[in-house]
Amino acid sequence: MKRSSPRSTTTPSATPRQATSRQGGAARKRSLAKPEAAAPDTASRSGARYQQTRFSSRLRAWGRHHRAMALDSLYRLVRHPLGNLLTMLAIAIALVLPAALWLTLDSAKLLNTELDESATLTVYLDVSVDEAQAVRIEEAVVADEGVAGTRRISPEQGMAEFQESLGVDDTLAGLEDNPLPTSIVIAPQTVDPQAMAGLAQRLEGLAGVDEVRLDLAWVERLRHLAELGRRVALALGVLFGFGVLLVVGNTIRLAVESRRREIEVVMLIGATHAFVRRPFLYSGAWYGVGGGLLALGLLGLGNYWLSLPVAALAASYGASFTLPQLDVTGSTILLSCSTLLGWLGAWLAVTRHLTSIRPR
Amino acid sequence: MIAFEHVSKRYGGRFDALAHLNFRVARGEMVFLTGHSGAGKSSLLRLIMRLEKPSRGRVVVAGHDIAQLHASQVPFYRRQIGVVFQDHQLLFDRSVFHNVSLPLEIQGVEPREAARRVRAALDKVGLLHREKALPVELSGGEQQRVGIARAVVNKPALLLADEPTGNLDPQLSADIMALFEDFNRIGTTVMIASHDLALIARLRHRILRLRDGRLVGDEGAV
Repeated sequence: MKRSSPRSTTTPSATPRQATSRQGGAARKRSLAKPEAAAPDTASRSGARYQQTRFSSRLRAWGRHHRAMALDSLYRLVRHPLGNLLTMLAIAIALVLPAALWLTLDSAKLLNTELDESATLTVYLDVSVDEAQAVRIEEAVVADEGVAGTRRISPEQGMAEFQESLGVDDTLAGLEDNPLPTSIVIAPQTVDPQAMAGLAQRLEGLAGVDEVRLDLAWVERLRHLAELGRRVALALGVLFGFGVLLVVGNTIRLAVESRRREIEVVMLIGATHAFVRRPFLYSGAWYGVGGGLLALGLLGLGNYWLSLPVAALAASYGASFTLPQLDVTGSTILLSCSTLLGWLGAWLAVTRHLTSIRPR
Repeated sequence: MIAFEHVSKRYGGRFDALAHLNFRVARGEMVFLTGHSGAGKSSLLRLIMRLEKPSRGRVVVAGHDIAQLHASQVPFYRRQIGVVFQDHQLLFDRSVFHNVSLPLEIQGVEPREAARRVRAALDKVGLLHREKALPVELSGGEQQRVGIARAVVNKPALLLADEPTGNLDPQLSADIMALFEDFNRIGTTVMIASHDLALIARLRHRILRLRDGRLVGDEGAV
């Protein structure tokens, strides 16, 4: 190779080297077939532009083949609708499970923030504390840096709220004395459990404070549950993602096997691996697209199927709650993930398989 | 165009399919490669096509030791060579036209230009009227001519053929060989492996004889 002269690009003797340079097939071939007609004059006069048009024609050819293969693989898919639909359905099912779990968690997170907002401390004052003292204590509480806001509830207000929530006017009216202390409801700056515990401790040290109620255990539990769920969803997502890879990989492996002869022939006449791989990559991507769309459909169907009982259940608790649905972003993410997985599965299968195919 | 320098090819460490081959083929030459089956004709062609590498020695094509080509360069190297196979290697689910246009498709030739060249090649082998047919609808001789059209559609500088007249009757064989001579006349280097000694002898071209992987005769060299 080294021995050939630099000018040898004008002769066929340079073919292998030249062939790998970024030149179009036509130029290569011409220089081979008619050695004397080749590069020097073109190169010296308009070399750069020549190269550029070569490059752009190569790019056009590349785009053309991509388009052709995308359509060809789609056509192959449509030609055997049942089998391919089953493959897509397998992909869809693998995607629906983690996606549904994720959606559920999303709604739990929504609930979680509502709970965070309702996370408060209640300070109960000594019964002996009168209103003026209560006002001073409230001022002291507000001065604490961990406190975002307060609401003082006098014994009378407390009694009224209590009665209202019980719906019994008469029983409590029979009491001689109002047994309730003044209470101060505090919205903390943060719902961080440790910060809240510290705040509670400081407040308990104030004079006239009888007790500070802080019940965060359920918030904590919910949070742990959500974290657990998130991890389960992630693990399932990874696992089922592998499942999708395997499903697509296996399907593509069969497709490669059934077109083995064709692959051998095109490799014999100079097809690159990329060229051979391309139709299969598109097939994989189409499987992914189909699977993703089916998964979206299944999620919508599931939502419709569950929405009525869920609404009835929520209503019985006096709440309004609708099942979360995938928004545009979520749908796009799901669809791109499945497409990418299909493509990747095909890539792995073809690459693994191509090494075993040698033209005879 | 082709130079074999002390080339040996050994399969599986048992025996030498080719041993100590030394010869050169000039640009524009037409050469027959002959010998009984198993003499190494196909192995020799496979070495030139870079389907295999020699165990020893160098195979130099167009000035390059092709063993040194990187795997990613090999496809581009193969595009420079037209090959006619004994079993045609046609794709049976595609029309004659698409079979012939395959090399151009691989190289990304613009479709209208490709169609023009495909028709020119089919015209050359006399099958222009069958371009829409599927290979199974053709006779053996016609299939072989489709294979030839595919090999030359690219106007390669080097044309290889492995037993191109293997299963054909004498008249068809002569026609096929005449086709190869036509291509040789316009400057293509042609190398044909064949054991049809009678036919080869009539054609008066250089003949390389192989026996048990060794070159035992080189007649009619210019």
